[in-house]
Amino acid sequence: MVGATEEARLNQLETQVDNGGGEAWEYLCLVRKLKARRSEKVLRHGIFILNSHIARSKLGGEEWTLYEQVAVAAMDCHRNDIANDCIEALSKKFPGSIRVGRLKGMLLEAKGAWPDAEKIYAQLLVDNPLDQIILKRKVAIAKAQGNLAAAVEYLNNYLETFMADHDAWRELAELYISIQMYKQAAFCYEELILSQPTIPLYHLAYADVLYTMGGLENLQAAKKYYASTINLTGGKNTRALYGICLSSVAINQLTKGRNKDEKDSADLQPLAAEALLKDYKERAPEKLALVTAMLRNIKLVS
Amino acid sequence: MGDCRYQISQCAYIKFVLHALKHRSSSVNGLLLGRLLEDGGGGAAPTVLISDSVPLSHSQIGVLPYLELALIQVEEHFASDGLTIVGYYHANERYDDTELSGAAKKIGDHIFRYFPQAALLLLDNKKLEGLPKGKGRDPVAQLFTRDSSRSWRSTGSVGSPQLTTKEPSANVVLLDFMSTEKWNEVVDFDDHLDDISKDWLNPDLFK
Repeated sequence: MVGATEEARLNQLETQVDNGGGEAWEYLCLVRKLKARRSEKVLRHGIFILNSHIARSKLGGEEWTLYEQVAVAAMDCHRNDIANDCIEALSKKFPGSIRVGRLKGMLLEAKGAWPDAEKIYAQLLVDNPLDQIILKRKVAIAKAQGNLAAAVEYLNNYLETFMADHDAWRELAELYISIQMYKQAAFCYEELILSQPTIPLYHLAYADVLYTMGGLENLQAAKKYYASTINLTGGKNTRALYGICLSSVAINQLTKGRNKDEKDSADLQPLAAEALLKDYKERAPEKLALVTAMLRNIKLVS
Repeated sequence: MGDCRYQISQCAYIKFVLHALKHRSSSVNGLLLGRLLEDGGGGAAPTVLISDSVPLSHSQIGVLPYLELALIQVEEHFASDGLTIVGYYHANERYDDTELSGAAKKIGDHIFRYFPQAALLLLDNKKLEGLPKGKGRDPVAQLFTRDSSRSWRSTGSVGSPQLTTKEPSANVVLLDFMSTEKWNEVVDFDDHLDDISKDWLNPDLFK
């Protein structure tokens, strides 16, 4: 999960390296730290360093981490030949290593040889039954084969043991959404919000799922979570502001003619609309007329 | 809807493919804008002219709020040009997945309610891969339309709706853009919501 400032820094470094301004190693380290997926750039710049004896020797022991990073990037870019070379180099240096074994398994996955990959992972799991990365590779294989039901099952099993793995909860939520099991996706986000209540992304994602599920209770809850996202992001999150507007309109449509009990949040929608218009005026004036017309239209409806 | 033809402009077509190329490891989707030409001239079949497309999302496909938002804003914007939403495009996450996903069908159903000749385009990865080698003029997409049994049917056999590009050299132009990695410049609705200064109309993409 990469925040806006971190992404800006990453992009800045990327442009710098692309234009020959150096700092390739710093860029690669940042990509690794943020777990960003920039495989083409990593491959290009990583290979450049690996091919140059001078640059490589400057890295010292870190050279092997780079081999690993480039191997994975190469597989993502369909350059299995490069990945193979990197893995051979690592294999020679670290014979019998589980980390290298995992890479060998991944290479088989990249080639589409699922049964062979599963065999390697099964062997590795014998000595290391709680290796999180290998357990997650099982999920990845199921997902890559299009077997989303199995992927969901494996991931649920994994989370029974490793319930603090937030990335896994997020992946499970996204898997559920892709097969339209929204209630289960909502449950995942609830777990995430419970364990990390100050991360706005979870509140926003939860609100989105609630809105998608629909129905008065869910829409009212969605509005609350859009509001908490706004709280946690200082009002700067465009999606949350739009979310307030959309959920307010939907709620009003459902409660037309009924007594409106929610008087306390009646001023939330106009405030959100105002904040949106202000932001568009400053940063996207060519869209201001369109957004104004849209907000005006839906205010008319409500 | 048996004898309706579908013609997609170079601009709409290329935006769609570039959008998919920009986000190779996820599904992408977008809206198709255009109008229906009742009489194709000289008694020819009615034709749906797809003149533009708006890339929507590469990460939030299953959730509703942003789709609704985009539908409202896109309809509002293009109404003044006399264009309406005539279809939807989708590219699956996996290379060998040629099925229309549940989400794609649902969105297609919604568009169908307002435009019965709605077109659903699914990116054909194998055709896209083969593009640099062959000299094909066919668009690299599978066309689905709603048939009388209320399901989305792929058209591929003779006598069913055909999809052609308005400009015959569309694939040549597409290949040219691909060689310059033009996909980096495509902005979708997702990108706009992350940074509203980015314009989902992509006004400068083809300049």
